[in-house]
Amino acid sequence: MTPATATAAPTVEARELTRRFGAFLAVDRVSFEVERGEIFGYLGANGAGKSTTIRMLTGLLAPTSGAGRVAGHDLATEPEGVKASIGYMSQKFSLYLDLPVRENLIFFGGAYGLWGKALERRADEVLALADLGDAGDAITGDLPGGVRQRLALASAILQRPQVLFLDEPTAGVDPVARRTFWRVIRDLAREGTTVFVTTHYLDEAEYCRRIGLMVDGKLVALDTPAGLKARWVPERLLVARGRDLARAVERARDLPGVKNVMRFGAALHLRVEPGALSEQDAAAALRAGGASEVVVEAAEPTLEDVFLAVVGAGGRGEEGSP
Amino acid sequence: MTGSRERVRRSLVRIGAMAQKETIHVLRDPRTLYLALVMPVVMLFLFGYGVTTDLERIPLAVADADRSEASRALVRTLTESGELALAGEVAPADADRLFRRGHAAAVLVIPEDYEERLARREPVELQLLADASDVSSANQLLSKADALVRAESRRLSAAALAPAAPPLSVKVRTLYNPAARSALFLVPGLAAYILAITAILLTTLTVAGEWERGSMEQLFASPVGRLEIVLGKLLPYLVLAMLELLLVIAFGAAVFDVPVMGKPPLLIAMGFFFVVGMLGQGLLVSVVTKNQLLATQVGLISALLPSLLLSGMVFPIENMPLPLQLLSRVIPARYMVHALREILLKGNGLDVLWPDLLAVVVFALLVIALSTARFKRRLA
Repeated sequence: MTPATATAAPTVEARELTRRFGAFLAVDRVSFEVERGEIFGYLGANGAGKSTTIRMLTGLLAPTSGAGRVAGHDLATEPEGVKASIGYMSQKFSLYLDLPVRENLIFFGGAYGLWGKALERRADEVLALADLGDAGDAITGDLPGGVRQRLALASAILQRPQVLFLDEPTAGVDPVARRTFWRVIRDLAREGTTVFVTTHYLDEAEYCRRIGLMVDGKLVALDTPAGLKARWVPERLLVARGRDLARAVERARDLPGVKNVMRFGAALHLRVEPGALSEQDAAAALRAGGASEVVVEAAEPTLEDVFLAVVGAGGRGEEGSP
Repeated sequence: MTGSRERVRRSLVRIGAMAQKETIHVLRDPRTLYLALVMPVVMLFLFGYGVTTDLERIPLAVADADRSEASRALVRTLTESGELALAGEVAPADADRLFRRGHAAAVLVIPEDYEERLARREPVELQLLADASDVSSANQLLSKADALVRAESRRLSAAALAPAAPPLSVKVRTLYNPAARSALFLVPGLAAYILAITAILLTTLTVAGEWERGSMEQLFASPVGRLEIVLGKLLPYLVLAMLELLLVIAFGAAVFDVPVMGKPPLLIAMGFFFVVGMLGQGLLVSVVTKNQLLATQVGLISALLPSLLLSGMVFPIENMPLPLQLLSRVIPARYMVHALREILLKGNGLDVLWPDLLAVVVFALLVIALSTARFKRRLA
């Protein structure tokens, strides 16, 4: 395993990547670059084209047009080079349920050309890395979801890949297991592995250095979480809680400086031009509109706000899953 | 260049990893072992005993117009061996009615001058009316009746009651299977048939399973090549199927007294390439269907029917209409059945059987190449 050559060149590069399935345009001229050691989050609703992009970058799917390079290898001309330098964890858990945990690792290590003592050592290493130290002899099918996901991750990093592609790695996993999972991913990135991860958990996206937002096959936004918030949610965000807020929605909309009012579960989110409306004034207006027990606080915008703003700007009423 | 040696080494490591993984699958799944090692023996017993085509106590009616000492002696000879049983005396005109009701499979008509002509040492013509709606029974009946009549004619000659020349000429001769036992004929065919079915089932299940589980996608994202997947998957099942072949032949020898006259190496070589071809056919089916249920059905139909009907295992190929004869030429089981019989029963060697060996080798290479080519490493 040669260490990734430290260069200024990006580890993952997509140029106008496009994939069509019949008349359906799954991925539409997507371009981006991911640097070495970066955790790159790829966000979007189901069917937005996240998995299709990953499958093109891992050589599983041929692009209809456009080009890409992964770890210095061209997708079209050096697919074997791409495959040898990446780890891939697909959306569906795809290790062998009837095999013991360690046998799965031994097999996938063999698939990458590892063998003998080195393979044994590496299998133990990744077991420890993924917090699976004593699960080696368990039958894979008996493991709970969160542990399986860590096993799949362990299997994807056996060959010390330069780039790790994770497709919805934490789907259906409980929050504690998700946190453990992300700790492992951040450790890997610190050691220089580039991580390309799709998710629809917006809280997880905060772990990413940069985020790309996919809407209907198009990459509509790409920046750091802070940059995305500054760009897409420049206004102040006021969060109002209380009873009967629904009655006061119209009144809130008409307040000076309010750009947009959105219901977030039981709460209202008011986007307000900087310096236009104080918390107290907003609370008073809502009470006047018929709500009671109103508390209004200024809040940091979340990626969820960004996501809704982006989707809203695209003129689509689609809601991101929380 | 060390680069290419390193490539070969890595390729072997990957094939080894595939084979090792498949072996663990097999060892952990008792169904596979049952399919490969128990089912063939059960099938051999069922077919060997159940499908024995030897008939016993065939009901024979007699229309004796002579009613003499000699004619009664003839009937006694025919029926005392137990192969034919006297179903009653009738008039020749009643034969049709008897057949329709199933009371008799044949009617022997003895002319009224039977004893007289024997006394005059003249040849006698006996008439045997047979119900040929069941062709294979009728054929057996004819050959048995023929053998029995010849025995009677020998007895008569010895007793100087008949002409010096035997009254009937001998037409049927049975070679290599002198006792005309079906088992000897069936077991080699059966071995090929059982091998074909289990080999195909073994591989159809495994590749289609990878598609269904989603692990195929994981494999495709790794550097494992198509041929490496194919070879790695074939190896453990090849070992299993070869064990199966030896098991079937051993049981055939122990239980049905099937001899092994020929050379074991030729037997092994035939079996090896035949099994590779069958495993490859299963692989091809599951590469194309990508679904376990469908793969199993297509695999079974594409292996079971031709191997049963067109291989010559039960129905002689020479008796088939020309189109079916031509079709049977692309069925590898045909060559395997033929070669097994020749090796086991006749002890023939490569000098006679090289076309059979060549045929199974060509088939094996063809299906492996085809399934590797059809195996797309991209998802779409």
